[in-house]
Amino acid sequence: MKRLALEAGVFGRSTYLQYVALFQWANPQGYVAYKVLLPVTQILFFVELGVYATGRQNALYFALGNALQLTANAGIFGVIATVANERQYGTLPILLASPANRLITFLSRAVVNVIDGIATVVIGLAIVVVIYGLNLQHANLLLLALCVVVISLTTAGLGLMFGSIGLVMRDAIIIANIVYYVLLIICGINFPVSRLPGAVQVLAYALPLTRGVQAARDAAAGASLGQVGGLLAGELLVGLMWALGGYLLFRLLENWARRGGLQEAF
Amino acid sequence: MGTPGVAVTGLARAAFSAFRVSIRLRVISPWAYLNWLVFPVLFAAVGLYVLSSPGAASSHVVYGVLGGGLIGYWSVAYLEGGNGIQEERWNGTLEQIFATPTPLWVILLGKICGGLLFGLLAFLPTAAFAYVGFHAVLPALDGGRFVISLGVLTLSFFCIALTLTPLFALWRWAFSMLNGFELGVYVLCGFMFPVAVLAPWAQGVAGFLAPTWAVRALYASTLAEGPHNFATWWLATIGLSLAYLAGAYFLYALVERRARMSGQLALA
Repeated sequence: MKRLALEAGVFGRSTYLQYVALFQWANPQGYVAYKVLLPVTQILFFVELGVYATGRQNALYFALGNALQLTANAGIFGVIATVANERQYGTLPILLASPANRLITFLSRAVVNVIDGIATVVIGLAIVVVIYGLNLQHANLLLLALCVVVISLTTAGLGLMFGSIGLVMRDAIIIANIVYYVLLIICGINFPVSRLPGAVQVLAYALPLTRGVQAARDAAAGASLGQVGGLLAGELLVGLMWALGGYLLFRLLENWARRGGLQEAF
Repeated sequence: MGTPGVAVTGLARAAFSAFRVSIRLRVISPWAYLNWLVFPVLFAAVGLYVLSSPGAASSHVVYGVLGGGLIGYWSVAYLEGGNGIQEERWNGTLEQIFATPTPLWVILLGKICGGLLFGLLAFLPTAAFAYVGFHAVLPALDGGRFVISLGVLTLSFFCIALTLTPLFALWRWAFSMLNGFELGVYVLCGFMFPVAVLAPWAQGVAGFLAPTWAVRALYASTLAEGPHNFATWWLATIGLSLAYLAGAYFLYALVERRARMSGQLALA
């Protein structure tokens, strides 16, 4: 019991420090730039692109997809940056030398970013409601909220996987950029997954967001939990697999980084 | 005392050295490859898929062919060109740059040209991707006007990079703002769809951006239909670009003052 309390304390402190680290950019300009301007412009760009290609009647398809994909901003960029920043600021060797439970340290990387991801999607959805008049009168709002929480968790799972690479790679944030935009292409955000080549469709369904965004679209149209339960369960399973893979990779690369002194290379 | 010719040769040599160093640094920088190779292809992929959706006009695909390249070119111009002074600050070489007898703008000229050359490369992978993946080509390419429009666009990117460089150095929040607004620039400059689809007020704002007119000319040079007022568009781009340069002149004076008199510029 005492051990559990100790581990909970480590988890709480680590999560709090992640919160502090996440808000290193916390000034009004930084907030406006990355939490308001970026979501607004991403939604505007893809909606206008979609409207130009397919007509005004499809604006909501693009708006909703991109609002939901914004969770990857925190889940991918945020989580990968936590390890990348440890390296940049020279605290990675200290972290790796600490006796703290690795699983707890690892999972605490994601918690604040999951919450941040949910907040980002809420901002995105608010933009869609205000600018594009998304009508949520018939939506299953509780289910939509559940979908948002689930995709925030699963994208953070993918972020943990690639964040581990930051243990041995100097510019891990480059990976974050690539993963973020790949999700935008292949997860059914701006066009149906069925239009992709077969092999890429397999990859799409092995990634977070694909099922979660579909479930959220259905929830926004009024679907019930029974109708999208399978999609959400699949989404959670995919996120869990990525997080588990990330943890195993973290342990593997931790030892590799120690042996090669890579954790201090910058 | 040297003759003006010798002085110009010396400045040209200094600019070329900055250009060469800038190219060499980019060849080994993973960020450079992200900006000219990976990003443009990813955006081209989204653009081509969306613009070739069932029911979309076939002429729309041209925006997918060139759009990714334009996005990559812009990213390199504003990120790598605009951070010309910031890079020196991060690398701890800002004082040396200011202590050399070569004017700052000459060094930045070379650095920005290096960035723009890399940015131009962005059109190659996107055009190849469009051709191989979507069999998409430029349907009615007017080679001469296309090249001139690209040259005028390059001039506008050069002037913007030269203007942003002191702006980013003086007010670091300006970079965050532009970085957050990056996709807004794609919208207002019509990189992947025409500005004409935007609301009238947004079209008004877009009219103050030099690349908007050059991009319009660039796309018009690849399409048979639509207006073809090339001279007007080129002149609008050049005029706006020169206006940005006039503003940059005052910003550089402010940078010099901060760096030499108050010594504040190197503070990270």
